[in-house]
Amino acid sequence: MNIDNLIEGILNGDNRSIARAISLVENSDPVSRERIIKGIYSVGNAKVIGITGPPGVGKSTIIGNIAPMLSDYGKVSILAVDPASPFSGGSIMGNRIRMQKSLSRKGIFMRSTSNRLYNGGLSEYSWDIVKILEASGSDFIILETVGSGQSDIDIMNIADITCVILAPGLGDEIQALKSGIMEIGDVFVVNKIDREGSYIAIKDIRETLNLSNKIKTPVIGINSIDIENYDKFLDYIVSWNKKNYREKYVRKLRQIVLEEIYNKYAYYIDNMDYTEDTLKRDPYTTAEIIIDSMNKIIDKSTYK
Amino acid sequence: MENGKNRKYTEAPIKVLLAKPAIDGHDRGIFVLARAFRDAGMDVIYAGLLPTPEEVVDTAINEDVDVIALSLLNGAHLTAFKNVIDIMNKKGVHDIAVVGGGIIPDEDKPALEKMGITGNFGPGTPLKIIIDHIKKRAREIRKLRENEYR
Repeated sequence: MNIDNLIEGILNGDNRSIARAISLVENSDPVSRERIIKGIYSVGNAKVIGITGPPGVGKSTIIGNIAPMLSDYGKVSILAVDPASPFSGGSIMGNRIRMQKSLSRKGIFMRSTSNRLYNGGLSEYSWDIVKILEASGSDFIILETVGSGQSDIDIMNIADITCVILAPGLGDEIQALKSGIMEIGDVFVVNKIDREGSYIAIKDIRETLNLSNKIKTPVIGINSIDIENYDKFLDYIVSWNKKNYREKYVRKLRQIVLEEIYNKYAYYIDNMDYTEDTLKRDPYTTAEIIIDSMNKIIDKSTYK
Repeated sequence: MENGKNRKYTEAPIKVLLAKPAIDGHDRGIFVLARAFRDAGMDVIYAGLLPTPEEVVDTAINEDVDVIALSLLNGAHLTAFKNVIDIMNKKGVHDIAVVGGGIIPDEDKPALEKMGITGNFGPGTPLKIIIDHIKKRAREIRKLRENEYR
């Protein structure tokens, strides 16, 4: 299997090729990543459904319930991101446990990835992986973030529809007023509505949305144990038809360019002589010196 | 894993699938292993309780793991492990290593090794021995795969 065969396999929707391509994108050198993405970029038209929310509110369980329902409308693929350990770099990925039964029955492709200590709720190459899943003929891609904090909002730039999952008892109306994750939802879902305080939670979110002129954004209370109100959530996802082309493109472009630039300067940063004099100088000046000296080299070599 | 450094496929974190492919609820040992593997810098996927052999192989393919680590403490290893291997052969999966563990009598070990299931560690084995074995198997698999793309 070389990369051309791999691309053919992805386009035919072969699970092994998709899985191997994702591994290459995640783990390998930029060259094979570039070749894979170039080969598949123009193919596919999927709706990317972002699922985000704090840890333990039931993101994986909701996906496990909603993915089989969605598969009546088209092919579904799932990408879930889990946090890596800051000490060892390893990770334990447990999203699959909550959804395995429904996945095997319907033949849904599901992949869990470690975020490799990348901030923002997703992994560095989530965009590429979503692209691969899209090229494999998926109509819906469900993208689950790590259990997110208030500022993990990368998902809004990749997903076409961002679903923020919450649960009762996470905070009062001030918490709902705050910026960050409470602003990015295209639909808010309050899970576990059999719990105490669920109507107050729904009310608080509703009020905040009304204040910020988002009167059309729905707040749906669901219960994952008896699959209560899932039909409303499903209808809203299926009828959503806004696409997020520009944001996705800009974000990826920025990442690629930054990576290129960083790679250029990283050599200098790693190999600089950290003498007493350097350490006495403030880092802003040092950065300027590095950039200036690199600019001279670039001016001479590549662009002239 | 630093940003911006060019990574080689062989250096990426090892991906391990932990599974108990039969009716067996003794999952304390597998939790201990999951934590130990994570602390050794591996990506660990736990298949949950009571997966069928089909689900185990499905998961292994979708996640593109390097090693499947099977554990059984109920004595069904000769049938249950064999089911997993059979399904893998049927699907043409030859580039995933399979290791075993649990309550496995010494006289069963040759039969398991013949199927390609190595390790077969019992209770009380030091974690370091298990981790080293997984690393060794994963390195072999990575070598095999690396050559496919060059």
